[in-house]
Amino acid sequence: MNLFASKDDLIRWLDSLLQKHIVVAPVRVQGQTMFQPISKVEEVIFDFDNTTLSPKGWFLPPTETLFSVQRDDGKVELVPTLVEHDAVIFGLHPCDAKGIALMDGPFLQEPSDALYRERRSRTALIGLACCQVQPECFCTSMGSAPDDPSNVDILLTEVEDGYIVQAVTEKGKALLPKGLVEYKGKVPTPPKLQTVPTKEVISAMRELFNDPYWEQLADRCLHCNICAYVCPTCYCFDMRDYADKGKVERVRSWESCQSPGFSLTAGGYDPRTTKGERLRQRFYHKLLYFPEQFQDVACVGCGRCVRDCPVNIDIREVISNLQQVTEAKSGS
Amino acid sequence: MDMELIQQIRDKARNLLEEGTVEGVIGYERASDGLTSRPFFAYDPSDTERLIFDETCAHNLVKYLLDKKSKKIAVVVKPCDSRAINLLLNEGQIERDKVFIIGVGCPGMVETNWNHKSETLQAKCRSCQLSKPLVYDFLAGGELERQAEEETYSDIMEAEAKSVATRREFWLEQFGRCIRCYACRQVCPGCYCPVCFAERLEPLWVGIRIAPEENDLWQTIRAFHLAGRCIGCNECERVCPVGIPLSLLNRKLEKDVKELFAFQAGLDPEEPPPFATFKKEEILEFEK
Repeated sequence: MNLFASKDDLIRWLDSLLQKHIVVAPVRVQGQTMFQPISKVEEVIFDFDNTTLSPKGWFLPPTETLFSVQRDDGKVELVPTLVEHDAVIFGLHPCDAKGIALMDGPFLQEPSDALYRERRSRTALIGLACCQVQPECFCTSMGSAPDDPSNVDILLTEVEDGYIVQAVTEKGKALLPKGLVEYKGKVPTPPKLQTVPTKEVISAMRELFNDPYWEQLADRCLHCNICAYVCPTCYCFDMRDYADKGKVERVRSWESCQSPGFSLTAGGYDPRTTKGERLRQRFYHKLLYFPEQFQDVACVGCGRCVRDCPVNIDIREVISNLQQVTEAKSGS
Repeated sequence: MDMELIQQIRDKARNLLEEGTVEGVIGYERASDGLTSRPFFAYDPSDTERLIFDETCAHNLVKYLLDKKSKKIAVVVKPCDSRAINLLLNEGQIERDKVFIIGVGCPGMVETNWNHKSETLQAKCRSCQLSKPLVYDFLAGGELERQAEEETYSDIMEAEAKSVATRREFWLEQFGRCIRCYACRQVCPGCYCPVCFAERLEPLWVGIRIAPEENDLWQTIRAFHLAGRCIGCNECERVCPVGIPLSLLNRKLEKDVKELFAFQAGLDPEEPPPFATFKKEEILEFEK
């Protein structure tokens, strides 16, 4: 059953959630839209295009201490990092929610990542359906939709004077405020998006591993990490030990396959030294390797990489180029 | 779009490729939004039909010459970008006879994002004093009249007047947003160390934490390494995905170097940058 919350209801609801939860919501910070823990409801913005960074950082922070080892009076103690609070991510779009569901693959398969698992189980997702989409959006081609409720606990859809409230999971139902009435009005039609064909391309990708296309595409690639860091599904990280007097911390930080040291081995061998090899890895991991392991492409069509790439490496264009290369090969 | 200028670029590029003078031409083509532009590498004469030039061609293509050192390459160069050519010549990073410079007169670049083009000129363009590239082999479109504002560094002086604590607070907040994507480094024509200090493990200069204290160190060393070398293309600020105002740092250093050494990077291919030279007469009296 769909419920209805007026705008005031929503504010009161968020306010009550703040009493017992950390509420992570989109806020404006120095011209950027970021998901951040809020201290009061007034900080939240409701009308926004896709945020600068996706909310993946709540589950896989840009940097975190996994555990520390302390030595005191000859005793050595291992101190794990604990997740101590329940949290709610408010206002994430369906594409970003799908990004989190995709990250569950690598992080929750056994042996699961303890910190990720704890944060995931103690966080509820209140999604916000997209009433408008941007030219870089292509979620419907990646198995989601502007009104997709499948990866959130509650989905809100803006209507006149308020929101349709759809509790999707038991976790979501438990968070609902009392006194919301049933929504009997029309459910708005989601905006239409452009289509990017993926299936045929992916099945042909293996044949294109050594195609000169990758080096040509990489000509203009800067090998920065923007695409990976704004991506809701890129989850690679690096780890390092920080030693201080009597204490060692194991730290993990975001890292990307475009970095020079990413595939460098201790012996000095690097299997991916050229720009093309590194750029190819990004698309092969997203479109081929990840689906082979976890049954879904590691792209949600949020369009952030399209929006932010300084040299316009556009994943939709890459997919369509791969299609052309395949057709040319089979035609010759 | 100035179709005459574009035709000149295309004709020259085609000519260079057909004659075998160069192996490739680095220029601009229309981006996937159909509105802005992106770098383009033409290797076949027929590719040159894709070349364009307009007020969205902000990228400093000189950076790519560092990837193509073994080849003879032509590159489309705006007046500001030509300072990067001089910098790299001066620092022995490129060879003049391996580069064919297609210079373009530049009307100034507007602020753009993918699928967005504003009417506003980039700040660096408003104060640009160069009517044509400082160095070129062929000039497309000829010299342009420019009505440039004077670079007064008023924003820098405003910042200088603030207390150390205020400035520190400002920069920690700015650097707090840094995600260490290194786009600022990757796009910079002056950043070409074979192994960047940020990636060195021995000695360890800066760790991997994406957190204010370490971002601070990364950004500070990056800026200092470009003191007297930054040519002011401002590509670092343009590509920053979290909007850190890097030009404030870079222009502060530019202003200091100008005042201390009467030097601006990339204006002269012969005069080495101040931190690559030692002159006896520059010995300063240190306070005891």
